[in-house]
Amino acid sequence: MEITFAEMPLALFSTLAPMGAGAFVILAIAFLTAKLDGDALKKIDRFTVIPVAFVVVGFIAAFFHLANPFAAFGSLANVGSSPLSNEVAVGCAFTLLMLAYWIWALTGKMSEGVRKGFATVVAVVGIVFAFFTGMAYMIDTIPSWNTMAGPVQLVGFALLGGAALGVLVLSLAGCGDALKAGSLKTGTLVVLAVGLVLGIGAFAVQATTASSIENALYNGADLVTSVMMIIVCGIICLVGTGVCDVFAVRGAGAGVMVGVSVGAAVLAIVGILLMRLAFYAMQVSVGLSIL
Amino acid sequence: MTQYAFHFDGTRCTGCKTCEMSCKDYKDTDLGIAYRKVYEVTLGDTKKADDGTFTTTCVSYPLSMACNHCDNPACTKVCPTGAMHKDGETGIVSVDADKCIGCGYCHMACPYNAPKVDREKGHSVKCDGCAERVAKGEKPVCVEACPARALDFGTVDEMKKTGEQANIAPLPDKSYTDPNFYIKPSEDAKPAGDAAAKVVNPLEVM
Repeated sequence: MEITFAEMPLALFSTLAPMGAGAFVILAIAFLTAKLDGDALKKIDRFTVIPVAFVVVGFIAAFFHLANPFAAFGSLANVGSSPLSNEVAVGCAFTLLMLAYWIWALTGKMSEGVRKGFATVVAVVGIVFAFFTGMAYMIDTIPSWNTMAGPVQLVGFALLGGAALGVLVLSLAGCGDALKAGSLKTGTLVVLAVGLVLGIGAFAVQATTASSIENALYNGADLVTSVMMIIVCGIICLVGTGVCDVFAVRGAGAGVMVGVSVGAAVLAIVGILLMRLAFYAMQVSVGLSIL
Repeated sequence: MTQYAFHFDGTRCTGCKTCEMSCKDYKDTDLGIAYRKVYEVTLGDTKKADDGTFTTTCVSYPLSMACNHCDNPACTKVCPTGAMHKDGETGIVSVDADKCIGCGYCHMACPYNAPKVDREKGHSVKCDGCAERVAKGEKPVCVEACPARALDFGTVDEMKKTGEQANIAPLPDKSYTDPNFYIKPSEDAKPAGDAAAKVVNPLEVM
């Protein structure tokens, strides 16, 4: 348990940054499918500060993990060979794209076509970033992590948590009616469902893998058991996120929509964070290594 | 290139930890940091029979190990900055403190528990094979301190003659990193990868 919480900076990074990235999936779907007037777009752009802040705060949290954060940019030196360098490179590319998109959108000089294209690119690169965040833990000497279930669960959490943030942005921007109709409603529900299935499903596969491994220090099954309460609480929060957002897009009145969306986002943060902490606790090396 | 390697003689080691302490003293490492560690490896159980007698299969053996300066190091592969590097002349794996960001990836990936992040210093630290002593023709301080002559250090060709490559538990299969560590096992030692052999002093060594 002590080890689990020692990884809080990394757990916060891998919770907040992919969530922020995933929010752009919902925004892109909104721009592609819904009819939003200039005023609504202006409000959406203003409230896009929320996912942007999630990404920025996530990266700041990651700096606290480093013993020498001032040299952090050196982490790009081994792109191609080090999975961490790859993650940082994709993360930087995503962040720059996201900021470029957001600042341009805020100027009010972005055409409808450019907005659709740019937001889609940001969304796609954001999901690639979430995937690379998971790939960073695929190390052949740590078999409990060396599985595609890691990156897949990160993509799932990014979609689920991102959907919660995206719905929050649209609710705050007063786009509740657009969210409750047509392709945007369907798209949001699909993203929520896919995120929930990928996140929890891949996590279950990874926990099963960890349970089957034993080394000279501990038994993987014991590690999984020791964090079972954290996992159960995490899953309850993630399912709660889905339930709140389904309620938000299927029938919540204008008055409660923002409240329900805030609730979904908070549940997503707590749920994903708990799952990430449990992930770090499931490190089983082929030899002698503990976090 | 002359690749260097360590040798450990499990038939001589008494687990006295003089190697570990001499290294700590020579390298002046802080509390919680040791470049060489002695793992207390234990397995077996004790059973009570119906007639009240006991039988036991319990055994324990020490393993003294530092960095194995692997041919295919897990630590250098994951290092994002290139701070963790393998010397082209000696094969010694060491940290460039100016480049290291202290992310802990090397510590996470190494299956021999060699590198560790020293947060006070702001970078990873590990055994460098006493490179400055070796350059003067001396052996690493741990080797010279061992009262039982259970440790040795030399070229990989010399060390290969002294035992098998990293072949006892709790070590992983040598194929992961190709370690430069040659062992003469004690009679009770289990083969590498046998998870029945447990490290019973984790608070001391991990």
